[in-house]
This record gives sequence, structure tokens and C-alpha cells, in this order.
Amino acid sequence: MRRPHDLTNLTLLLAGALAVASLLPMADARAQGGPKFLSDDPLTREPETQDASNVQEWEIGLASDLVANLFGKPGDLTVNLRAQNANTIDEVPDSSWFTNRIYARALSAAEIAGGPTTASGPAPGKWTLIRPKSAGVAPGFTVRDEEGQVWFLTFDPRGYPVAPTAAILVASRLFWALGYNQVESHISTIRPENVVIDPSATVRAHGKRRPFTIRDLDEVFDRSARNPDGSYRVQAGRALPGRPVGGFKYYGTRPDDPNDVVPHEHRRELRALQVFGAWTNLVDMKAGNTLDVVITEGGRGIVRHYLQDVGSTFGTGALAPRDGDEGYEYIYEGGPTWKRFITFGFAVPRWATIDYEEHPEIGRFEGDAFEPELWRPRVPVAALAHARADDTLWAALRVMAFTDDHIRAAVETGAYTDPAAVELLTSILIKRRDRIGRVYFAKINPLTKFALDESGMLTFENPSVLAKLSEPPAKGYEALWSRFDNATRASQPIGAPTSGQSGRLEAPSDLPRADGTFIKVSLNAVEPEHPAWAKPVDVYFRRAGGAWKLVGVERMNGEG
Amino acid sequence: MLFGVWGRVARPEVVRAAAACLLSAGIVSLTSVPAVAQDTRAAQIAEKQAAKAATLEPYRPTRFEAVMNALEQSFASPPSGFYPAFGSVYSGGGLTLGAGFRQFYGRKAVFDVMGLYSIKNYKKIEVGTRTPWNFDGRWTFGARAGWLDAPQIGFYGVGMAADADDRANFRIKQGYAGAMASFEPTRWTRLEADVAFEDYNTEEGLGRAPSIETRFDGITAPGLGADPAYIRTQGTAAIDWRRSPGYSRTGGYYGVTLRNYDDVDETYSFRQLEGHLIQHLPILRENWVISVRGRVQTTLDDDDVVPYFLLPSLGSGRTLRAYSTGRFRDRHSILTTAEFRWIPSRLALDMALFYDAGKVTRDRADLDFNGLESNWGIGARFHGPTATVLRIEAARGSDGWHLVFSTNAAF
Repeated sequence: MRRPHDLTNLTLLLAGALAVASLLPMADARAQGGPKFLSDDPLTREPETQDASNVQEWEIGLASDLVANLFGKPGDLTVNLRAQNANTIDEVPDSSWFTNRIYARALSAAEIAGGPTTASGPAPGKWTLIRPKSAGVAPGFTVRDEEGQVWFLTFDPRGYPVAPTAAILVASRLFWALGYNQVESHISTIRPENVVIDPSATVRAHGKRRPFTIRDLDEVFDRSARNPDGSYRVQAGRALPGRPVGGFKYYGTRPDDPNDVVPHEHRRELRALQVFGAWTNLVDMKAGNTLDVVITEGGRGIVRHYLQDVGSTFGTGALAPRDGDEGYEYIYEGGPTWKRFITFGFAVPRWATIDYEEHPEIGRFEGDAFEPELWRPRVPVAALAHARADDTLWAALRVMAFTDDHIRAAVETGAYTDPAAVELLTSILIKRRDRIGRVYFAKINPLTKFALDESGMLTFENPSVLAKLSEPPAKGYEALWSRFDNATRASQPIGAPTSGQSGRLEAPSDLPRADGTFIKVSLNAVEPEHPAWAKPVDVYFRRAGGAWKLVGVERMNGEG
Repeated sequence: MLFGVWGRVARPEVVRAAAACLLSAGIVSLTSVPAVAQDTRAAQIAEKQAAKAATLEPYRPTRFEAVMNALEQSFASPPSGFYPAFGSVYSGGGLTLGAGFRQFYGRKAVFDVMGLYSIKNYKKIEVGTRTPWNFDGRWTFGARAGWLDAPQIGFYGVGMAADADDRANFRIKQGYAGAMASFEPTRWTRLEADVAFEDYNTEEGLGRAPSIETRFDGITAPGLGADPAYIRTQGTAAIDWRRSPGYSRTGGYYGVTLRNYDDVDETYSFRQLEGHLIQHLPILRENWVISVRGRVQTTLDDDDVVPYFLLPSLGSGRTLRAYSTGRFRDRHSILTTAEFRWIPSRLALDMALFYDAGKVTRDRADLDFNGLESNWGIGARFHGPTATVLRIEAARGSDGWHLVFSTNAAF
């Protein structure tokens, strides 16, 4: 027997469904029919309007993060979605996550070598140990120098000098230039007799916190590589300004940060780590190697996001050269595991037969057999799984913007003791850079740097041709010109398509020139070797103040 | 029926509720298309941020995260207190579980009390301490004392001619107390010294096989009925460049151990020398590993009488794997093993085809490769970076198939 309130609930459900159904078409029409470009497009700075002072520290467990990413599929499962923080010209606005540097502007080799550094390393004299190292396997601890500055020290492990600390330095310069927030790192030396233990320093061991003692300090030095003169080489990372509140996940948003509204798997700069990670072999890409810090800007608390530890790069891990499979296979991958299981190992993985360049100060790294699309971090990363061709092109443009001199300048910051290591690492990074350009510029129409001048001349660049990775398209470029109604999003062709062999195409003579007018140019390249280039990139200009302003670039129109 | 439903819908409270629902649904839908509500992109984003600011909540770990975090902390730095114990009372004791209490102190030192019980009624209690970090980390010291009871240990006779059908069981109750020191002059070299008092009491065996005294006598089972008490001193010198004794795909171990069993009654004193070689040979960056092992155990003085339960033996999950524990016993033994290992998952799973061969002999001169008893088999090993968590193997020898379940590496 049905009770009365059951019927009432049923009625409410029906009515609610009716209401939602009746409003859906309206919402859809309004969404589709609204203006495509808003007055402030393209956005150059992602606004952070809310006070995030109350964000609380959280700890993302290593094991739970690993299991969730290795055996689950965290985050949004919808595939082929456009990056949600990309602006209308397919770029990433500056934000608390990312700052446009290389490719967006000219960077000198000296700037790259300087990276995030603002001053010299730790002040000489006595260093006071205030905390043991709580994360990661490399030996280290936190000190305060005589000027009161706090530094996180990381040592090379015993028997494996230079490589781990050098990798941190070099990688932090590269990732800084790429646009990520980085810790200011220096190479320094330390002598045990110059370390004083702060009486308040404690260490957590076996479920309890106890005072940090000289024996604990001895253990750190015992585990570390010692120089012939008794000193120890360290990487010193300057403590970040602000209040650390733990790392960030590569999916979802932080529940207590009001400004964090774009799911991390849909942030382009995080998706792009598929390319940047491949270039540098940043295999240890986990939440535990990131850090969020609350800073105060304009009277409000803002969470700034750091790729804090980019040390497991090139050919090295924190304690030893990387294993053969790192960069090629997740630490657990069902398909290859079963293949090897049933074939007695005769399904030989690719990584087992590749020739590495091995150097004691670099580890195992190579550039000749590098396949960026096949590259993998140790554990799946949700944001990387969402990377589309427009995301990887965006990233590849930045990698390709590094000149040989840029790369060498970054590598030289590693303070390698063997000059051959500098040469080797530089040459491998150059090879991998070029391979990235070759692969990702071919996956999608890569035309970029669009401009329409007053004479009606459209200029653009083909980065693949510019980098001499491919010949100019055999049959040139073709442009279909349209008047674009921003309100209705309807296009109306103007004249016949124009074409040309170079990155300069003339607009039809009857191009409208009234202020507020929008023009859409669908631009493609006809080159049999690059079928992806045949799909046009849609470029939008708005007439304002007597000039054409680029307001839109769509590379994957109709996809997500 | 339909009219009945609409009749209820027409009631005033239902109409009011439906209207409220319609209204709320409409509001939700409208706010879900902010594009029409704002004329700048920045304002759209600001609106989303304002909406989130109104519904902020602190991060709360999920139950899964909480459990994983607790496990992680427990493994990374196990806390003092009670813990579940897994291990072995005596080889062949079967599945063994227990509990312990440990108290960490000093620098990675631990005091431990543990009790174990097996499905074959083997039991052990032990108290001990171990301080692994002394004098620049090169010295490790330890001490332990305990008592164990293994009531159904198999004995098949002495020599390679021992028949599986002749199995008899004996029981050992043993009290022991001792201390050890280990010194690592270099990263790959190790010197160990061990001294212990071991008091053996043998009794009638339990289980399905008859007790030992019903089938064997003092000639066929040397020392039968004796309950010797020993001062055992032992020294080992070794080169060990494996990643870990618990699990390794590279490196090797080359060690020599001398054991001196000094009977307090001076009846059953003897000395044994053991040489042990292990080599792991990775192929194609550890896609495969060839692992080989050779071990020789010899009783040094021909006139010494070694009690049957302390004779060098073969047969167990770590020696001749298709044979029961202690299947072959005599004064000397030789054991060789070759494994073809393939690594389906470097994280957690090794597979292996293996071949073990060995023999026990009365005379040292017979320690050669003639007349070896052998077995072959296949195994799966679930492991971590430095430890074998579970080893499951099926081995086939002249006694038939034998299944091995172990929480240790084979070698």
C-alpha cells in the first residue's frame, strides 16, 4: 500500500523533471546564441577575485595518490574537452599557476640561467638546522642561514654524486622558462661542523615526535656523497614566500580555494606536462612534488601553485640513475604486464633495447630513439590523459622556442664537474626538442602568430617550416574569408578564397572595415606529407580603433 | 488510477510544492548559463569564483585516503606497539601467524616481543633487540632469547637413499639465547659474529607419520634420544652487492660461514663450514634475470657425531623445492640452483622457471656433481623494491609435485 507522502514525492519529481525539461531548450539557445567573443577577449590574466586566506593545509598521501592514479581514473572522464583555461586565441592567460615567458616574449640565455633566482644562495657561516626533510627519499634537511633566510637542502646520495642535485638546478630553469612557478635553487656546499641543530627541531619516527639529535644529523651525512675535502655538495632551495598548504592534485579542484574553479585536468599548462615532461623526462610527476602557497596580493589571500620538485629528470632519480623502464612505461601497466607474463618475457619492451647515453653525472638519457607521444611518467597523471592536439601544440611551440644557447645556459647551471656532461645533456635536450617539434607540429594545423594589417595583409607563421623541420607546403596556404556575426555566430563568405606560398595572404578587396566588425579566416596548408594541416585553423579578428585585433583562434573546431 | 493521481496532485499543498520545484529548477538552469549574464570573460570567471566562495568546504580525506595514509605511515616508519606477525617457527611448519609488541628506541633500534603459531601446531615466543646504527653506521648489534616447539619435523633417514615412505616425525623443543654483531668495512663487505646458547630437547613426533623412535635407532639416526645443549659460535665473511637480500635482480653474494657447536656435555660437539654463492645476471635491462646459486655445507671433523636434526639437509622451499623439509640429511651437502626469471611487472611480480639439484653425502670426497637429486618448477613472486612478500611455486621432483608458499626469497 502506497503512503500519501510517497505520491507527493512522485508528483514533485515529475513536476521538477517537467520544469527542467521545459527550460533546457531555452538555456541551450541562450548559450549558443550568446556572443562568441566578449569585450575583454582574449583574456591575458586569469582573475582571482576571492579571498583564499582561509585555505587550510592538507597532506596528499603518497600511497593514496599512487593507487588512485595507477588503478583508477580520477577526475573528469569526458574526453576531448578543450582546455578550460585557454583563452579565445588558444593561449593560456597568466595566473597563479602559470606565467607566459618563453615563446610569449624574447628570453635571453642569461634570463634562463637566472631562472627564478632573486639573490645568491645561502649566506656563508653557521647554518641552523630547523627541520628534518619530511618528503622524498634523498637525504636533506631545512636550515636557517646567518641572515635568517630559510633553505631546503638536498644532498646527493652516497656513491652517486652530482647527478641528482644538478638535475634539480637545470630542470628548475627549464620549467621556470616554460612558465611554471619554481623554487629558487642554488648549488652550495656544507660542512658538518657548520651545522647547528636548533633545540626546537624535532623528527617524527615510529609514530612519535622526538628531538632531532646529532645522531640524526650524522645519518643524513652518512647517506650523502662526500667531497674529497670533507664538504658536501647540496642543492639549496629558498623557502617560498607565503604559507604552504600542501600540494595540488592533477585533477579536480581544491575544495577550500574559492578561486580554483577550473578542474586541474582541464588546465592547459598541466595537460602540457605531457610534452614538457617528455622533453625533460620528468617521470616523478605526483601531487607530492607540487606545493601550494597562500600569499597576499592586493589585500587578498591567493593560492600560488608550484611545481616544487622537478628533480627526477633527464637520466636520474633521487638516489640512482633511473631504471630502464622509466619514461617508457608506468610502474604498473596491465597490457605489457600480461604480455610479458604469458610470453615468458619474450614480448620485449622497447625500453629494453634502446641505447642510452650513460654518464655518471646525468644518468641514463637519450635523444635518438625518443618518441614523445609514447613517453610516460611513473604513474598516470589525470591532466596528461586529457591532453589534446591543441594542448600539445601549445606546449611544443614553447619547447621549440628554446634555442641551443638557451638550453646550454640552463644546463650549465647544474654545476657539473665534467664538461662532457654539459655537452651530452645539451645535445640530448636539443635532439628531444626537435623531435617534439617534428611530432606535434604534424598532428594538427600548427599555423600561428596571426596578424591582419591595415592593408588587408594576413601574416602568420608555420613553426614547422620556420624550424626547418619540414618544407613549406607543396601547394601553399589557402584562406577562406568570412564576415562573422558575433551575436548569432553565423558566418558569411567574403569573395573567393585566397592562396599563396608564404605566410602572407592578401584579403579580399571588399573586406568590411567598420568598427565592431568581426572577420573569420579559415586557413589551411595543402601538404600531402602533413594531412593534419589540411584542416583549417579558424582565426577571428575584430575591427576596433581602425585596426584589426586578433580575438580568436580555433584549431579543433567542432571537437569538444 | 490516473484520475486518482491527478486528484492528489490537485491538492493545494502538492501544487505549492510543485510550483516551488519548478521555480527552483528554473533558477538552477539560469545560473548554469552565466555566459548570458555577464558581458566580460573576467566577470564570468569572477561569478564562478563567487559561487564557489559561498559553498567552500574544508578538505576531508575520503575513507580510502585515510586508510592508505595510515598504511603508508605504518610502513614508512612503523609505530611502537602491537603488530601482526608473519614468519616461521621452523622450516616446514606451514602457515604461521602471530602477534608482537615492539618498542623503538635510540636510532632505529627496536625491542621486540613476538609470539607465533602455525597450522601444524608449531609455536615460538621470542624477545629480542636490534640496534642497526652504531659507529658511523657500520656496526649492528642484536640479542635475542626464546623458546620454540616444533612437534612434527620429518626425518627420512640419512643419505640420498632415504625413502619418502620411511618418513618419521620428531619433536624439538628448544630454548635459546644469544647475541650477534655485524660489521660492514665497506658498502659491499660484511663480517658477522654470532654466539648463542641453544638447548635442544627432542621428543616423540606428532602428526600422521610415526614417531622417529619407532623406525630409527641411534645408528640410523645419530644422536637419537640425546638432548644436547650447545654454545654455538658462528662467523661469516661475505661480499654482498645485491640490492637487498629480500629481493634482488642484480648483484651477487659470496660468503663463507664457520659454525662451531660446542656441546656442554662434550658428546655431540662439531663444526660446520658453509660456502654460499649467489649471482643475479640481468639481461636486457632486467627484462630477464638468470639467477644461480651454489651452496656447500660440510662437517669438518670426521670423528664428530652430529645429531640427526643438525645434519646438513636438503629439501624445503629454499633448497630442493620439490622435497619436504629435511628430506635428505647427511654430514655434507651440495646444492645448485638455476633460475630463468622474467619480470612481467617491475613493481610487483617476477616469474621464474627453476631447476634445483643437490645431494647429501657421508664423505666429503663425494661432494661432486654426480648423482644429484633434482627438481624443476615454476614460480610467481610478489615483491616490493627490497622484499619478497609472497612466493608461490610448484616444483616437480622424484617425490612428485610440491607446492611452496613462502614470504622469503628463494635465495
